[in-house]
Amino acid sequence: MQRLIWIFWPAFVVAGVAEILFFTMIDPKELYLFGEPVRLSPLATYSIGFLGFWMVCAASNLLTCFMMRSADEVNRRKDRGGQGGSSRRTCG
Amino acid sequence: MWFTQALYYGLCWLPWNGRQAVLFDLVERKFYIFGLVFWPQDVFFLAVLLIISAYALFLFTAVGGRLWCGYACPQTVYTEIFMWIEQKIEGNHNARIRLDRQSMNARKASLRGLKYAAWAAVALWTGFTFVGYFTPIQTLWNELWQFSLGPWETFWFLFYGGFTYLMAGHMREQVCLYMCPYARFQGVMFDPDTLVITYDPERGEPRGARSRKIDYRAKGLGDCVDCGICVQVCPTGIDIRNGLQYECIGCAACVDACDQVMDKVGYRRGLIRYTTENAMEQHWGWKDILAHIVRPRILIYTSILAVITVAFVWGLATKATLRVDVIRDRATLAREVEDGLIENVYRLQVMNVSESPQRYVLSTMGLDRIQLMAEPIMDVPAATTKSFTVQVRVPPESAKKGSHTIYFDVKSTIDEKVAVHEKATFLMP
Repeated sequence: MQRLIWIFWPAFVVAGVAEILFFTMIDPKELYLFGEPVRLSPLATYSIGFLGFWMVCAASNLLTCFMMRSADEVNRRKDRGGQGGSSRRTCG
Repeated sequence: MWFTQALYYGLCWLPWNGRQAVLFDLVERKFYIFGLVFWPQDVFFLAVLLIISAYALFLFTAVGGRLWCGYACPQTVYTEIFMWIEQKIEGNHNARIRLDRQSMNARKASLRGLKYAAWAAVALWTGFTFVGYFTPIQTLWNELWQFSLGPWETFWFLFYGGFTYLMAGHMREQVCLYMCPYARFQGVMFDPDTLVITYDPERGEPRGARSRKIDYRAKGLGDCVDCGICVQVCPTGIDIRNGLQYECIGCAACVDACDQVMDKVGYRRGLIRYTTENAMEQHWGWKDILAHIVRPRILIYTSILAVITVAFVWGLATKATLRVDVIRDRATLAREVEDGLIENVYRLQVMNVSESPQRYVLSTMGLDRIQLMAEPIMDVPAATTKSFTVQVRVPPESAKKGSHTIYFDVKSTIDEKVAVHEKATFLMP
């Protein structure tokens, strides 16, 4: 659970900021997708934009979490199986 | 707390000049806040508003600790609403524990069902209100009953409602512990004169259980009977007797619980109380605490806040109600027309930011015998941008070859003060 929070929650906050900055400067009506003007309704563009930002940020957090794992946690050996619980504290 | 919620649930229903008073119209890219209309160009005001909010938060935290959490934070507020519902339906803390222990029966099922239904109703209403700030809520309300809500409106309605339910119903203080950034940095705004929930160790220690019959002071015991109730009632599960910790959300549950215990054993109240570090150490009364509110940190925060707020209000009051963008027509740079005159074509984006329709008069100047070939009257409806194509002609003898600066003047016929003097370049071939 904590891991999910770490991945998705900061991503949500940053995605919110990114969404505001991006769409303040860019009108969704002026966006092009693969050379074609975007035909979605503005509300859909904003929503997809936000979800997109969110997922990108979450992916970044996922990598951060993965990299914060110590070598021991990544290569969890059988005789250290009991340490599995400690990974909670170090994220990932 | 009820005030913030009345504001949140009520404001979106308030009409203003035939529209919703507070509406963030994403589709039209216009934000309406009472008489003000904000365009994407006004993002500066948003930034300033955020700075003001941040300084206000610093100030309140420095004076009174985590005031924000208890009174304004949506997380705490919804949690409290949900807990209030829980208490009304399932009874007090002890009744709920008993209910938890029971195996599933008709009474438990109906109570639980009722509770979850009530939570869901509040959560859905919250979600609906949220969407109502972005899509006119009257329309939304009608659409809801005709089952014709747009797909994204439905999505955000359920998304926001669902998360309200999850956060306030199940996550509760976990959010404060693991998700709240404010909880992590609020400590830097604290100083020894900040009001916080504090345990009085001088009075309480050494803690310990004791018989009522003996004189505990003679045995060297403090006032704390070590009943552990302060830890039990703490929503974040900390022991306030270990000193202030970042998990403490300042809910004062331990203060009330401890006071009850103190009453029961016949000791003075306030073993755990709302006070400052200095006051605790130096045995100050409320008078001294209040006197120490005025200190450099507070004065600095207040003055910065005051300056920015004044600038913000001044900026809003003098916000231009007319904006004009001049764009040169790229297709035709300059051309010669009848009588040998040179013509340049411009596109004028006239933005009427005011709330009423406007009529503007256009004129041009900057070169000798410059002529405007378009209708000089421009009508722009309220809060709209309209584009006008304008031809400007100049006799060839008026200027040398090259680019020259000319000006467009746009003046309102209704209010003389509303005028824009905009620069443009005229190309002479």
